[in-house]
Amino acid sequence: MSGSPYAPHTASETTAMLDAIGVDSEEALFDIPESVRFDGEFGIDAKSEQAARRAVASTLADNDDLTEFLGRGHYDHYVPSVVDHLADRSEFITSYTQYQPEVAQGFLQALFEYQSMLVELTGLEVANCSMYDAATALGEAATLAERLRSISGTRVLVPDLLHEGRRGVLDNYVAGSDLTVETYPTADGNVDREALTEQVDETTAMVYAENPTVRGTIEEGLDTVGDLADEHDALFTLGTDIVALALLEEPASVGADVVVGDGSALGLGSAYGFGLGLFACRGDRELLRQVPGRLVGASEDSDDRRAYTLTLQTREQHIRRERATSNICSNQAWVALRTAMHVASLGPDGLVELANDSVRRARETAGRLDELTGVQAPVHDRHHFREFVARVDQPAEAIAADLEAEGYAVHAVGDHEIQVCVTEANEQALDGFVAAVSEVVR
Amino acid sequence: MSRQQERPDEQSETLTFEQASWVDPDGDRYEPLLSEKGSETVEVDSELPDDLTRDSLELPNPSEPELARHYTRLSEMNYGVESGPFPLGSCTMKYNPKFTEDLAARADASIHPDRSERSTQGTLGLLHELQTYLGDIGGMDAVTLQPPAGAAGEFTGILVAKSYHEANGDERSEVIIPESAHGTNFATAAMAGYDVVSLPSNEAGRVDTEALEAALSEETAALMLTNPNTLGLFERDIEEIAEMVHDVGGILYYDGANLNALLGRARPGDMGFDVMHYNVHKTFATPHGGGGPGAGPVGVTEELREFLPDPHVRATDTGYETHTPDNSIGKVHGYDGNWLVLLKAHAYITRLGDAGLADASAKAVLNANYLAEQIDYEIPFGPFHHEFVASAGEQDAADAAKRMLDFGVHPPTTKWPEIVPEALMTEPTEIESKRTLDQLAAAFNAASASDTDTIEHAPSRTAAGRIDQTSAARNPRLSWQALDDEE
Amino acid sequence: MSFDIDTDCRYLESHEWVRPDGDTARIGITDFAQDELGDVVFVELPSEGDDVTRDAEFGVVESIKAVSDLYAPVSGEVVAVNERLFDEPELVNDDPFGDGWMLEVAYEESDFDGLLTAKEYRDQTE
Repeated sequence: MSGSPYAPHTASETTAMLDAIGVDSEEALFDIPESVRFDGEFGIDAKSEQAARRAVASTLADNDDLTEFLGRGHYDHYVPSVVDHLADRSEFITSYTQYQPEVAQGFLQALFEYQSMLVELTGLEVANCSMYDAATALGEAATLAERLRSISGTRVLVPDLLHEGRRGVLDNYVAGSDLTVETYPTADGNVDREALTEQVDETTAMVYAENPTVRGTIEEGLDTVGDLADEHDALFTLGTDIVALALLEEPASVGADVVVGDGSALGLGSAYGFGLGLFACRGDRELLRQVPGRLVGASEDSDDRRAYTLTLQTREQHIRRERATSNICSNQAWVALRTAMHVASLGPDGLVELANDSVRRARETAGRLDELTGVQAPVHDRHHFREFVARVDQPAEAIAADLEAEGYAVHAVGDHEIQVCVTEANEQALDGFVAAVSEVVR
Repeated sequence: MSRQQERPDEQSETLTFEQASWVDPDGDRYEPLLSEKGSETVEVDSELPDDLTRDSLELPNPSEPELARHYTRLSEMNYGVESGPFPLGSCTMKYNPKFTEDLAARADASIHPDRSERSTQGTLGLLHELQTYLGDIGGMDAVTLQPPAGAAGEFTGILVAKSYHEANGDERSEVIIPESAHGTNFATAAMAGYDVVSLPSNEAGRVDTEALEAALSEETAALMLTNPNTLGLFERDIEEIAEMVHDVGGILYYDGANLNALLGRARPGDMGFDVMHYNVHKTFATPHGGGGPGAGPVGVTEELREFLPDPHVRATDTGYETHTPDNSIGKVHGYDGNWLVLLKAHAYITRLGDAGLADASAKAVLNANYLAEQIDYEIPFGPFHHEFVASAGEQDAADAAKRMLDFGVHPPTTKWPEIVPEALMTEPTEIESKRTLDQLAAAFNAASASDTDTIEHAPSRTAAGRIDQTSAARNPRLSWQALDDEE
Repeated sequence: MSFDIDTDCRYLESHEWVRPDGDTARIGITDFAQDELGDVVFVELPSEGDDVTRDAEFGVVESIKAVSDLYAPVSGEVVAVNERLFDEPELVNDDPFGDGWMLEVAYEESDFDGLLTAKEYRDQTE
């Protein structure tokens, strides 16, 4: 095992190639000064495929086998096998960005379909073909607000209960701009609309709200938030996820200008936070020219047949450089492909049913936990989607640790608050989970 | 509106030829959109109050067999690394080993990011090992795996540089970038709030040290370089460049796009770079996925370790834990990055080991040099390494590339870097055999020998003919709803 | 190849023209410029009532592969914008000195000092 197993050269071929070039050795092709040559070792032994596979798998096996009741913005739904098999077709997964559209019609059409699904789900006219994750999509929405001429404000208002990862990324995305991030209060999990009204004025660039919220509550009266942003010439950005979009109020109908959020709830399992950033926005001329990320458009080929291509690329870094709408290049196209496949496999019936089940499961599970001594659930007197916060008499961290010992993972989100997320991926374990909770909360 | 299409079994008349033929070569499409194959509108009923829900939802409703055929047809109209040669310069289109996909599909790889550290020792262990591997490969003291792409790695690295300067009470305003650099470098510097100072190349295609001297000042936060540069040339003055940048207190940033040229032979850390990103979807063979996901880990010197993103994985006496570096820049991804991509990169490095990695570079450089010998287009700069930039000369490089599609190969990157007129930036990678390179060279030479009329009308043998970019941009139709509106 | 040049216009080296018409002047880009750009797909212009400043950027013209800044040959308030360009950017290619005009600006006569004459501009592009 002296070489790369994926380099096909035989010794005689290598010699023939060196001869053709006119050098004696591969070494002679490297024009690297002696002083910066590396002659050390990394100490990584080459392995057979079988041994490499075993090595990685054996480390992975150190992860505990837990049934997760975890969410807070990143969700595990059952992904049908058909998605794995189709998305893993090598023509898709081993292809590159579609800079030669004539040989990339398949992926372009799939991304065009993905964009169209988001247009339907959000009610907005434009969706890009992916951002990294919900957090970076939020960051991009904020810098979009700053670029819009119609917006003169610089304050970005976000709920005090924003997921810490999203807040952290947002802070970094605005670090190079004139924007500042401020929080507004929530009341019983949802936007405190009175308090928000006090904070929004003409210095506001963007108002951000989520539906469902990070604590699983479903917002009420988001249209008033839309109106508020509109009255003060601020962008209204709504954070959500691909399943919730099928059931909850359509973002366009509550006045959302931009929708961001997580798309990987469909198409990808938990994957340790590996995600897909949704990004959709209104389609008026000003926004269209400021959208971050890649866009696939329909056009015609030389025979006047419909064909697809990346378009409006002058927004992007490879043409506009330091004046690009974003520095994004590699995105999450393959995850978008998977998400589109999953949406299509569910169809509108299946997707709405999944969303309705998410409401039911949260309600029923909260009800079951509430019956236990030492638990009050849900904490918030709201409707819930997939997940809810429960109050526990014991310290939450201890409860979470005890549950982990029983084989279950939950979030500890406050001194005496745990958060529980239920989907079809863990529903079959609910009885055991409720029994375990009843044991550990005593 | 609903575009319910009639299905063949609902039709009473005899099928026309077009309806009968499965593939419609003369129609206005190759594979209908999912929406055209049949959509359904459902009224949304729910236990929730009506004012909290949407009214209806219209989406395609294919059966699983229909879905499988749809995406199989689409895949047949798409070119990947396994379709044929893919010498796309700066993109390092390697073969993506299948066993890495199997590892990524394991149930114990798909865990929630908010789990406790004690229950995720496997994942943390692999991340820590990968940090160590990448640190060793790049000559860096500490590595973060959080950035989800190369551009995100750049942003992370520049934020680290910014935080470093700020921690020294040093406000700097400029980032210097060679004119020939990747567009992301410029966009990243601007995103981090810096003014960009563009640096011209010298006649040999390398950093012009006199121009650099003139550009450097107390305002210089960083110089972003890739080495070998976008022409495939090693910056032989790199140590002098590093000294010049460090003399004014600047940070030297390494763009890892071209690291495949150096594995086991030279390390950015040894050249004087302070920060670097790795493109694992290039150098470490994770699939590009039609544009992503990638991953852009960032390595730094000891001095900059404290600024790395939160969280960072470290070893303890008994296992692994995450911690927040003392002066962390915070977060660049909602969680810990593109984990499954990182897992595949780890598996690739594990498989190749020292010898395989060094051989990958050797063969990548051998292949580029051999291919260059075989093609008729002029290559103005050298000696190059894993990639070269040929000039299409009197031809339009974009047209020449379209002509290459007719020979069943993917063309090189075109019209960039601009220092070479009508550039054909070519990177065959180590995976091609001599025989494949000979075939690829024949495609280059056939394109080179083609007359203007032929290349302007190419391609003629692909799923779609030349696509009208002007129409797409003047009249943006970005969804099937927009197509419906047009009709 | 020769390009149209309008002798009633004055020019900037960056290929913008200005043609006085009473109290106002129209501004656009030259035939040479539109040819260099290729198919124009988008034009970004200021709004009526905005001010433009001599030699400063006032907008952007985009083709498929390039983005170019537009520079104002004269200073003054924008009194009209050619809104047709928003839906028909091809007018810049088809008729750069006519229907492809961009702005109408209230200007000062003295603003013309230092602008290229048609002959000087022709010499520059040849």
